[in-house]
Amino acid sequence: MMSVNEKFSAIRKGLLEFLLLQIIATEKVYVADILKQLSGTEFATQEGTLYPLLSKMRREGLLDYEWKESEAGPPRKYYELTVKGREQLRETLEYWGKINGTVKKLGQK
Amino acid sequence: MNKVITINLDGIAYQLEEGGYDALRAYLETATARLQGNPDRDEILSDIERAIAEKFRALLGSHKTVVVAKQVAAVLAEMGSIEADSGEAADPCASGTGAPSSASGHGTAGEERAAWRGGTPRRLYRIHEGAMIAGVCNGIAAYVNVDPTLVRLAFVLLTMLWGTGLVFYLVMAIMLPEARSPEEKSAASGAPSTAQEFIRRAKEGYYEAMKGFPDRKARREWKRRFKREMRANADQWRHNWHSYCAEHAPFHPGMGFALPLLSLLHGAATVLWICALISLLATGTVFGLALPANVPAWVAALLLFIVYCILAAPLKATRRACYRGFGKPRWAWSFVFILDAAVWLAVVAALLWLAVHYFPELREGVQGIPSLAHQAADDIRVWWKGK
Repeated sequence: MMSVNEKFSAIRKGLLEFLLLQIIATEKVYVADILKQLSGTEFATQEGTLYPLLSKMRREGLLDYEWKESEAGPPRKYYELTVKGREQLRETLEYWGKINGTVKKLGQK
Repeated sequence: MNKVITINLDGIAYQLEEGGYDALRAYLETATARLQGNPDRDEILSDIERAIAEKFRALLGSHKTVVVAKQVAAVLAEMGSIEADSGEAADPCASGTGAPSSASGHGTAGEERAAWRGGTPRRLYRIHEGAMIAGVCNGIAAYVNVDPTLVRLAFVLLTMLWGTGLVFYLVMAIMLPEARSPEEKSAASGAPSTAQEFIRRAKEGYYEAMKGFPDRKARREWKRRFKREMRANADQWRHNWHSYCAEHAPFHPGMGFALPLLSLLHGAATVLWICALISLLATGTVFGLALPANVPAWVAALLLFIVYCILAAPLKATRRACYRGFGKPRWAWSFVFILDAAVWLAVVAALLWLAVHYFPELREGVQGIPSLAHQAADDIRVWWKGK
């Protein structure tokens, strides 16, 4: 018997990109911030997953990064959304709203 | 007591217990293998190294210098295994653009290169280290990946054209930012870390550590160990570089046609050089062109050799690049290499045979080589004494 956790791992995987867009949209963040925000949620992730995903999203032009000095240690990569990324986030939010509506509506019958 | 190994992560030296070092290496090797075919592979790997370094830094206090194996294991567990492409499985529509490994089969070489370029941001900076004036040429050289001397030469030549080069240089010197942080420096050349950077860092670490050894014996021991480790690092680096080169020279079917042609040209250049040399030694003229009276024959021979090297270098480099294009299975590479070397040798042999056969002066020249060599040696000796 599969647990709910296992069953929805594919869904979580697909939604991670959407969540990243949302996290990065609010402010410039670096990877440790993202991990902290995700930890404790169902979407808790590790660097090993995050870096390849971020680099893929950057390759697709959804986000970009800049180097910023940190108080301790070498500079860090801070990520931010591009115009295309914001557009994608808007579309995804809209779509997500629709899906949510559908789930609720079908449940009511 | 456990053996400790010094490593360099993100420009800072860390000491790891041997077991931890093995684990870290295995982790990074697996990561490299999983990211095979990802155009951003090198960048992701350096991100991961940086993240590991940050975790190590957090572990090490002011009095603690060695990361023990258990801590390394914990850090690696926290990092989690590398997932090749997280988007691909969830969204089949995006897999065309998302998964580079599947796209590379259909995409042209140009597209692939563009994707790679996009992966490691390459930016134009001024680079101060090893600069002559403001580092503009240095920066351009790093950007386009050629010898800075060539860029400088180009600027000098451009300056001869109504001073264009000078104006251009001044504009660039004002406009371009300077590469200050290590990241900017690596962005300047587009590579995660260059050979120079590696050597500089190694030296820095070396002299820093040397200061802490008042005892002569301990210092010698450290020196020996450092050298050994640096050699291992250099080997590793060379290996990475080779795999990097093999990876990013995209295969192009045109190479199959270009390779024999290049070999032919290269062979012809070699033959031309040998003929010119023989002609020079035998008759004192290069294809009927007499030398100025006060230039000794060996200087002319040296000049000939330099000219040959300059002519042949790009041919050689292109041939090498072509081999790498066949790099996917290893055996294909060696096969092409052997085949091409055979073609090259055959061309040289055939042309030489023809040359010696049809030009009697050359035949005489070849027969006279031993005595000429003696004479040249005597010439050099006399010239040296005269000096």
